[in-house]
Amino acid sequence: MITPHPDDVTLNEYADGTLPASQQRVVDAHLSTCGSCRAVVDSVRQLRTAVRQLPPLSPPRHVWTRIERALRASGATRTSTRWQWLAVAAALAVAVLGGMKLSDLRRASSSPAPAQAVSGDAPTAQSIAAELQQAEQHYQNAIAGLERIANSERGSLDPQVASTLEKNLAVVDQAISESRAALKAQPSSEPAQASLLESFRAKIDLLQDTVGLINEMRRGAGANADARRTSPGLSQKDQ
Amino acid sequence: MRQPGQQSAPSNEATVHRTASADSASLDLVERCQTGDVDAFAELYARYSSRIFTLTARMSGSQQTGEDLLQEIFLQAYRKIGSFKGDAALGTWLYRLALNHCLDFVRSRQAKMEKATDALEVDGQGTTAMAPRESPVERIDLERAMRQLPAGCREVFVLHDVEGYEHKEIAAMLGIAEGTSKSQVFKARMKLRALLT
Repeated sequence: MITPHPDDVTLNEYADGTLPASQQRVVDAHLSTCGSCRAVVDSVRQLRTAVRQLPPLSPPRHVWTRIERALRASGATRTSTRWQWLAVAAALAVAVLGGMKLSDLRRASSSPAPAQAVSGDAPTAQSIAAELQQAEQHYQNAIAGLERIANSERGSLDPQVASTLEKNLAVVDQAISESRAALKAQPSSEPAQASLLESFRAKIDLLQDTVGLINEMRRGAGANADARRTSPGLSQKDQ
Repeated sequence: MRQPGQQSAPSNEATVHRTASADSASLDLVERCQTGDVDAFAELYARYSSRIFTLTARMSGSQQTGEDLLQEIFLQAYRKIGSFKGDAALGTWLYRLALNHCLDFVRSRQAKMEKATDALEVDGQGTTAMAPRESPVERIDLERAMRQLPAGCREVFVLHDVEGYEHKEIAAMLGIAEGTSKSQVFKARMKLRALLT
Protein backbone atom coordinates (compact mmCIF):
# COMPACT_ATOMS: atom_id res chain seq x y z
CA MET A 1 0.00 0.00 0.00
CA ILE A 2 1.31 3.46 -0.89
CA THR A 3 1.22 5.79 2.09
CA PRO A 4 1.00 9.61 1.77
CA HIS A 5 4.28 11.46 1.21
CA PRO A 6 5.76 12.80 4.47
CA ASP A 7 6.26 16.57 4.43
CA ASP A 8 9.72 17.93 3.68
CA VAL A 9 10.59 18.86 7.26
CA THR A 10 9.75 15.32 8.35
CA LEU A 11 11.98 13.88 5.61
CA ASN A 12 14.80 16.15 6.77
CA GLU A 13 14.35 15.08 10.36
CA TYR A 14 14.31 11.46 9.23
CA ALA A 15 17.60 12.02 7.38
CA ASP A 16 19.01 13.65 10.54
CA GLY A 17 17.85 10.71 12.65
CA THR A 18 15.89 12.95 15.00
CA LEU A 19 12.38 11.67 14.38
CA PRO A 20 10.57 9.87 17.23
CA ALA A 21 10.66 6.08 16.77
CA SER A 22 6.95 5.79 15.93
CA GLN A 23 7.18 8.40 13.14
CA GLN A 24 10.41 6.88 11.91
CA ARG A 25 8.69 3.53 11.34
CA VAL A 26 5.98 5.24 9.30
CA VAL A 27 8.59 6.97 7.12
CA ASP A 28 10.55 3.72 6.81
CA ALA A 29 7.46 2.04 5.41
CA HIS A 30 6.86 4.89 2.98
CA LEU A 31 10.44 4.98 1.72
CA SER A 32 10.30 1.27 0.91
CA THR A 33 7.80 2.09 -1.82
CA CYS A 34 8.61 5.71 -2.80
CA GLY A 35 11.72 6.42 -4.86
CA SER A 36 11.30 10.21 -4.93
CA CYS A 37 11.21 10.52 -1.13
CA ARG A 38 14.21 8.16 -0.89
CA ALA A 39 16.06 10.47 -3.27
CA VAL A 40 15.34 13.45 -1.01
CA VAL A 41 16.63 11.61 2.06
CA ASP A 42 19.73 10.39 0.22
CA SER A 43 20.57 13.86 -1.08
CA VAL A 44 20.17 15.40 2.38
CA ARG A 45 22.53 12.81 3.84
CA GLN A 46 25.07 13.34 1.07
CA LEU A 47 24.92 17.08 1.61
CA ARG A 48 25.39 16.72 5.37
CA THR A 49 28.40 14.48 4.83
CA ALA A 50 29.91 16.92 2.34
CA VAL A 51 29.36 19.88 4.64
CA ARG A 52 30.96 18.10 7.60
CA GLN A 53 33.99 17.30 5.49
CA LEU A 54 34.60 20.91 4.48
CA PRO A 55 38.11 21.94 5.48
CA PRO A 56 38.58 24.91 7.82
CA LEU A 57 39.22 28.28 6.21
CA SER A 58 42.40 30.27 6.74
CA PRO A 59 42.18 34.02 7.24
CA PRO A 60 44.43 36.11 5.01
CA ARG A 61 47.56 37.44 6.62
CA HIS A 62 46.50 41.09 6.51
CA VAL A 63 43.84 40.46 9.17
CA TRP A 64 46.54 39.86 11.77
CA THR A 65 48.42 42.91 10.51
CA ARG A 66 45.33 45.01 11.21
CA ILE A 67 44.82 43.45 14.63
CA GLU A 68 48.45 43.91 15.60
CA ARG A 69 48.34 47.54 14.48
CA ALA A 70 45.28 48.14 16.66
CA LEU A 71 46.89 46.41 19.63
CA ARG A 72 50.06 48.45 19.39
CA ALA A 73 48.03 51.63 19.01
CA SER A 74 46.25 50.73 22.24
CA GLY A 75 49.54 50.45 24.09
CA ALA A 76 50.24 46.72 23.97
CA THR A 77 53.89 45.83 24.27
CA ARG A 78 56.14 43.10 22.96
CA THR A 79 57.78 40.80 25.45
CA SER A 80 59.27 41.01 28.91
CA THR A 81 61.24 44.03 30.03
CA ARG A 82 64.44 42.03 30.03
CA TRP A 83 63.80 40.79 26.54
CA GLN A 84 62.94 44.28 25.36
CA TRP A 85 66.32 45.36 26.58
CA LEU A 86 67.95 42.64 24.51
CA ALA A 87 65.95 43.69 21.47
CA VAL A 88 67.02 47.29 21.94
CA ALA A 89 70.62 46.16 22.31
CA ALA A 90 70.35 44.21 19.07
CA ALA A 91 68.76 47.17 17.32
CA LEU A 92 71.52 49.44 18.55
CA ALA A 93 74.11 47.02 17.22
CA VAL A 94 72.36 47.02 13.87
CA ALA A 95 72.21 50.79 13.84
CA VAL A 96 75.94 51.00 14.38
CA LEU A 97 76.75 48.27 11.89
CA GLY A 98 74.42 49.57 9.24
CA GLY A 99 75.39 53.20 9.73
CA MET A 100 71.78 54.22 9.98
CA LYS A 101 70.09 56.57 12.39
CA LEU A 102 68.21 54.97 15.28
CA SER A 103 65.18 57.11 14.44
CA ASP A 104 65.12 55.52 11.00
CA LEU A 105 65.28 52.07 12.49
CA ARG A 106 62.46 52.86 14.90
CA ARG A 107 60.39 54.21 12.06
CA ALA A 108 61.08 51.20 9.91
CA SER A 109 60.31 48.82 12.74
CA SER A 110 57.07 50.42 13.77
CA SER A 111 55.51 51.84 10.61
CA PRO A 112 52.64 49.50 9.79
CA ALA A 113 52.33 50.42 6.16
CA PRO A 114 54.25 52.81 3.97
CA ALA A 115 51.11 54.56 2.83
CA GLN A 116 50.50 55.75 6.38
CA ALA A 117 53.96 57.19 6.70
CA VAL A 118 53.22 59.83 4.10
CA SER A 119 52.01 63.01 5.71
CA GLY A 120 50.43 66.06 4.22
CA ASP A 121 49.51 65.45 0.59
CA ALA A 122 47.51 62.41 -0.41
CA PRO A 123 49.80 59.52 -1.31
CA THR A 124 50.33 58.74 -4.96
CA ALA A 125 51.28 55.37 -6.41
CA GLN A 126 54.81 56.67 -6.93
CA SER A 127 55.16 58.07 -3.42
CA ILE A 128 53.88 54.82 -1.95
CA ALA A 129 56.34 52.83 -4.03
CA ALA A 130 59.17 55.13 -2.92
CA GLU A 131 58.13 54.83 0.73
CA LEU A 132 57.93 51.08 0.41
CA GLN A 133 61.37 50.94 -1.16
CA GLN A 134 62.78 53.13 1.61
CA ALA A 135 61.18 51.05 4.34
CA GLU A 136 62.40 47.85 2.68
CA GLN A 137 65.93 49.25 2.56
CA HIS A 138 65.80 49.95 6.30
CA TYR A 139 64.60 46.45 6.98
CA GLN A 140 67.27 44.96 4.72
CA ASN A 141 69.97 46.95 6.55
CA ALA A 142 68.68 45.80 9.91
CA ILE A 143 68.45 42.20 8.74
CA ALA A 144 71.95 42.27 7.25
CA GLY A 145 73.41 43.62 10.50
CA LEU A 146 71.62 41.06 12.65
CA GLU A 147 72.60 38.24 10.30
CA ARG A 148 76.24 39.22 10.58
CA ILE A 149 76.06 39.01 14.36
CA ALA A 150 74.03 35.81 14.35
CA ASN A 151 76.13 34.01 11.73
CA SER A 152 79.43 34.84 13.38
CA GLU A 153 78.31 33.43 16.73
CA ARG A 154 75.90 30.70 15.68
CA GLY A 155 78.39 28.03 16.73
CA SER A 156 77.73 28.87 20.36
CA LEU A 157 74.12 27.74 19.99
CA ASP A 158 72.84 24.30 20.82
CA PRO A 159 72.66 22.37 17.48
CA GLN A 160 68.98 21.59 17.98
CA VAL A 161 68.16 25.24 18.61
CA ALA A 162 70.27 26.28 15.61
CA SER A 163 68.41 23.78 13.44
CA THR A 164 65.03 25.12 14.58
CA LEU A 165 66.20 28.64 13.84
CA GLU A 166 67.26 27.62 10.36
CA LYS A 167 63.86 26.10 9.67
CA ASN A 168 62.02 29.14 10.99
CA LEU A 169 64.18 31.49 8.97
CA ALA A 170 63.43 29.42 5.87
CA VAL A 171 59.69 29.80 6.58
CA VAL A 172 60.07 33.58 6.92
CA ASP A 173 62.20 33.78 3.77
CA GLN A 174 59.54 31.86 1.91
CA ALA A 175 56.92 34.34 3.14
CA ILE A 176 59.11 37.22 1.94
CA SER A 177 59.46 35.59 -1.49
CA GLU A 178 55.71 35.04 -1.76
CA SER A 179 54.99 38.62 -0.69
CA ARG A 180 57.46 39.94 -3.27
CA ALA A 181 55.79 37.85 -5.97
CA ALA A 182 52.34 39.14 -4.94
CA LEU A 183 53.64 42.71 -4.96
CA LYS A 184 55.22 42.25 -8.36
CA ALA A 185 51.88 41.06 -9.73
CA GLN A 186 49.97 43.89 -8.02
CA PRO A 187 52.33 46.74 -7.05
CA SER A 188 49.55 48.86 -5.54
CA SER A 189 48.07 46.10 -3.41
CA GLU A 190 48.03 47.27 0.21
CA PRO A 191 47.69 43.75 1.62
CA ALA A 192 50.74 42.68 -0.41
CA GLN A 193 52.72 45.70 0.83
CA ALA A 194 51.69 45.07 4.42
CA SER A 195 52.50 41.39 4.05
CA LEU A 196 56.01 42.10 2.79
CA LEU A 197 56.76 44.51 5.63
CA GLU A 198 55.24 42.12 8.14
CA SER A 199 57.51 39.36 6.84
CA PHE A 200 60.52 41.61 7.25
CA ARG A 201 59.47 42.42 10.80
CA ALA A 202 59.05 38.70 11.51
CA LYS A 203 62.58 38.07 10.26
CA ILE A 204 63.98 40.87 12.39
CA ASP A 205 62.14 39.53 15.42
CA LEU A 206 63.57 36.09 14.83
CA LEU A 207 67.09 37.37 14.33
CA GLN A 208 66.79 39.55 17.42
CA ASP A 209 65.74 36.47 19.35
CA THR A 210 68.78 34.69 17.99
CA VAL A 211 71.17 37.45 18.95
CA GLY A 212 69.62 37.67 22.40
CA LEU A 213 69.99 33.94 22.86
CA ILE A 214 73.60 34.08 21.78
CA ASN A 215 74.20 36.87 24.31
CA GLU A 216 72.75 34.74 27.05
CA MET A 217 74.80 31.73 26.00
CA ARG A 218 77.94 33.79 26.03
CA ARG A 219 77.16 35.03 29.51
CA GLY A 220 76.71 31.43 30.55
CA ALA A 221 73.09 31.95 31.51
CA GLY A 222 72.22 28.44 30.45
CA ALA A 223 69.03 28.18 32.47
CA ASN A 224 67.62 31.37 31.04
CA ALA A 225 68.63 30.37 27.56
CA ASP A 226 66.82 27.08 27.92
CA ALA A 227 63.70 28.99 28.88
CA ARG A 228 64.02 31.14 25.80
CA ARG A 229 63.95 28.06 23.59
CA THR A 230 60.23 27.85 24.21
CA SER A 231 59.59 31.45 23.18
CA PRO A 232 57.32 32.07 20.15
CA GLY A 233 60.19 33.23 17.94
CA LEU A 234 62.20 30.11 18.57
CA SER A 235 59.48 27.52 18.54
CA GLN A 236 58.90 25.46 15.44
CA LYS A 237 56.67 27.34 13.02
CA ASP A 238 54.07 24.84 11.95
CA GLN A 239 51.24 27.14 10.98
CA MET B 1 14.91 31.38 27.65
CA ARG B 2 18.56 30.58 27.64
CA GLN B 3 20.79 33.52 26.76
CA PRO B 4 23.42 33.24 24.01
CA GLY B 5 26.23 33.42 26.52
CA GLN B 6 24.82 30.39 28.27
CA GLN B 7 24.37 28.05 25.35
CA SER B 8 25.97 24.66 25.53
CA ALA B 9 28.74 23.51 23.26
CA PRO B 10 27.74 22.21 19.82
CA SER B 11 26.83 18.56 19.63
CA ASN B 12 28.47 17.81 16.28
CA GLU B 13 31.31 15.39 16.88
CA ALA B 14 33.48 17.12 14.33
CA THR B 15 33.28 20.51 15.99
CA VAL B 16 32.54 19.76 19.58
CA HIS B 17 34.33 21.78 22.26
CA ARG B 18 34.01 19.81 25.44
CA THR B 19 33.97 21.94 28.54
CA ALA B 20 37.23 21.28 30.30
CA SER B 21 39.50 23.41 32.37
CA ALA B 22 42.40 25.09 30.63
CA ASP B 23 45.76 23.30 30.53
CA SER B 24 48.85 24.87 32.02
CA ALA B 25 50.27 25.89 28.64
CA SER B 26 47.05 27.77 27.84
CA LEU B 27 47.07 29.44 31.26
CA ASP B 28 50.65 30.52 30.69
CA LEU B 29 49.69 31.94 27.30
CA VAL B 30 46.72 33.77 28.82
CA GLU B 31 48.91 35.22 31.58
CA ARG B 32 51.27 36.60 28.98
CA CYS B 33 48.36 38.03 26.98
CA GLN B 34 47.04 39.67 30.13
CA THR B 35 50.31 41.58 30.49
CA GLY B 36 49.77 43.09 27.04
CA ASP B 37 52.34 40.88 25.31
CA VAL B 38 51.56 41.09 21.59
CA ASP B 39 53.73 38.07 20.81
CA ALA B 40 51.64 35.95 23.15
CA PHE B 41 48.49 37.24 21.52
CA ALA B 42 49.97 36.39 18.12
CA GLU B 43 50.37 32.83 19.37
CA LEU B 44 46.75 32.80 20.51
CA TYR B 45 45.70 34.11 17.10
CA ALA B 46 47.79 31.52 15.26
CA ARG B 47 46.21 28.77 17.33
CA TYR B 48 42.54 29.72 16.96
CA SER B 49 42.08 32.17 14.07
CA SER B 50 41.33 29.50 11.47
CA ARG B 51 38.57 27.95 13.60
CA ILE B 52 37.02 31.36 14.29
CA PHE B 53 37.37 32.59 10.73
CA THR B 54 35.65 29.46 9.46
CA LEU B 55 32.71 30.35 11.68
CA THR B 56 32.60 34.06 10.82
CA ALA B 57 33.02 33.65 7.07
CA ARG B 58 30.38 30.94 6.81
CA MET B 59 27.91 32.65 9.13
CA SER B 60 28.20 35.98 7.32
CA GLY B 61 28.42 34.45 3.85
CA SER B 62 31.16 36.90 2.94
CA GLN B 63 34.94 36.69 3.02
CA GLN B 64 35.23 40.42 3.73
CA THR B 65 32.65 40.45 6.51
CA GLY B 66 34.21 37.27 7.91
CA GLU B 67 37.56 39.07 8.11
CA ASP B 68 35.99 42.10 9.79
CA LEU B 69 34.21 39.92 12.34
CA LEU B 70 37.40 37.97 13.00
CA GLN B 71 39.27 41.20 13.70
CA GLU B 72 36.51 42.47 16.01
CA ILE B 73 36.39 39.16 17.88
CA PHE B 74 40.12 39.03 18.55
CA LEU B 75 40.23 42.67 19.64
CA GLN B 76 37.34 41.91 21.95
CA ALA B 77 39.18 38.82 23.20
CA TYR B 78 42.22 41.00 23.93
CA ARG B 79 40.08 43.37 25.98
CA LYS B 80 38.31 40.54 27.80
CA ILE B 81 41.19 38.14 28.31
CA GLY B 82 41.47 39.41 31.89
CA SER B 83 38.11 37.77 32.62
CA PHE B 84 39.34 34.32 31.53
CA LYS B 85 39.61 32.29 34.71
CA GLY B 86 40.65 28.95 33.26
CA ASP B 87 37.46 27.12 34.27
CA ALA B 88 36.87 26.27 30.60
CA ALA B 89 39.30 25.39 27.84
CA LEU B 90 40.76 28.47 26.17
CA GLY B 91 39.40 27.39 22.77
CA THR B 92 35.89 26.99 24.22
CA TRP B 93 36.02 30.41 25.84
CA LEU B 94 37.14 32.01 22.58
CA TYR B 95 34.62 30.07 20.50
CA ARG B 96 31.75 31.23 22.73
CA LEU B 97 32.97 34.81 22.47
CA ALA B 98 33.09 34.44 18.68
CA LEU B 99 29.69 32.78 18.46
CA ASN B 100 28.05 35.48 20.58
CA HIS B 101 29.64 38.15 18.39
CA CYS B 102 28.34 36.39 15.28
CA LEU B 103 24.87 36.13 16.79
CA ASP B 104 24.91 39.84 17.59
CA PHE B 105 25.85 40.46 13.98
CA VAL B 106 23.03 38.23 12.73
CA ARG B 107 20.45 39.89 15.00
CA SER B 108 21.60 43.32 13.93
CA ARG B 109 21.32 42.32 10.27
CA GLN B 110 17.90 40.79 10.86
CA ALA B 111 16.73 44.02 12.47
CA LYS B 112 18.01 46.03 9.50
CA MET B 113 16.33 43.69 7.04
CA GLU B 114 13.04 43.88 8.92
CA LYS B 115 13.27 47.67 8.88
CA ALA B 116 13.97 47.65 5.16
CA THR B 117 11.08 45.26 4.59
CA ASP B 118 8.74 47.48 6.61
CA ALA B 119 9.80 50.46 4.54
CA LEU B 120 9.10 48.59 1.33
CA GLU B 121 5.66 47.56 2.54
CA VAL B 122 4.82 51.11 3.52
CA ASP B 123 5.80 52.14 0.02
CA GLY B 124 3.36 49.60 -1.33
CA GLN B 125 6.11 47.60 -3.06
CA GLY B 126 5.73 44.45 -0.96
CA THR B 127 8.64 42.18 -0.10
CA THR B 128 9.25 40.62 -3.46
CA ALA B 129 12.38 42.74 -3.91
CA MET B 130 13.92 40.86 -0.97
CA ALA B 131 13.21 37.42 -2.43
CA PRO B 132 16.31 35.28 -2.97
CA ARG B 133 17.64 34.78 -6.46
CA GLU B 134 16.43 31.49 -7.88
CA SER B 135 18.54 31.18 -11.00
CA PRO B 136 20.18 27.76 -11.34
CA VAL B 137 23.93 27.56 -10.85
CA GLU B 138 25.92 24.70 -12.32
CA ARG B 139 29.14 23.18 -11.00
CA ILE B 140 29.46 25.54 -8.10
CA ASP B 141 31.41 24.41 -5.09
CA LEU B 142 29.82 23.98 -1.71
CA GLU B 143 31.47 26.98 -0.05
CA ARG B 144 30.35 29.27 -2.82
CA ALA B 145 26.88 27.77 -2.76
CA MET B 146 26.65 28.35 1.00
CA ARG B 147 27.58 31.99 0.49
CA GLN B 148 24.65 32.29 -1.90
CA LEU B 149 22.11 31.13 0.64
CA PRO B 150 19.70 33.86 1.72
CA ALA B 151 20.61 35.54 5.01
CA GLY B 152 18.49 33.99 7.69
CA CYS B 153 18.47 30.42 6.50
CA ARG B 154 22.27 30.45 5.97
CA GLU B 155 23.01 31.22 9.63
CA VAL B 156 20.62 28.54 10.83
CA PHE B 157 22.05 26.04 8.35
CA VAL B 158 25.64 26.80 9.42
CA LEU B 159 24.76 26.50 13.10
CA HIS B 160 22.94 23.18 12.55
CA ASP B 161 24.73 21.34 9.77
CA VAL B 162 28.24 22.80 10.10
CA GLU B 163 28.60 23.73 13.76
CA GLY B 164 26.39 20.90 15.01
CA TYR B 165 23.91 22.74 17.22
CA GLU B 166 20.45 21.26 17.77
CA HIS B 167 17.31 23.06 16.65
CA LYS B 168 16.22 23.89 20.19
CA GLU B 169 19.63 25.42 20.89
CA ILE B 170 19.51 27.49 17.70
CA ALA B 171 15.98 28.60 18.52
CA ALA B 172 17.15 29.87 21.91
CA MET B 173 20.22 31.58 20.44
CA LEU B 174 18.36 33.41 17.70
CA GLY B 175 15.06 33.95 19.50
CA ILE B 176 13.05 32.02 16.92
CA ALA B 177 10.67 29.05 17.14
CA GLU B 178 12.16 25.58 16.93
CA GLY B 179 9.93 24.88 13.94
CA THR B 180 11.36 27.94 12.20
CA SER B 181 14.85 26.60 12.71
CA LYS B 182 13.83 23.27 11.17
CA SER B 183 12.15 24.84 8.18
CA GLN B 184 15.10 27.19 7.59
CA VAL B 185 17.54 24.28 7.55
CA PHE B 186 15.27 22.44 5.14
CA LYS B 187 15.03 25.53 2.95
CA ALA B 188 18.81 25.91 2.93
CA ARG B 189 19.35 22.26 2.02
CA MET B 190 16.91 22.42 -0.85
CA LYS B 191 18.50 25.61 -2.10
CA LEU B 192 21.95 24.04 -1.91
CA ARG B 193 20.73 21.00 -3.80
CA ALA B 194 19.47 23.30 -6.52
CA LEU B 195 22.74 25.23 -6.62
CA LEU B 196 24.90 22.13 -6.73
CA THR B 197 23.07 20.26 -9.49
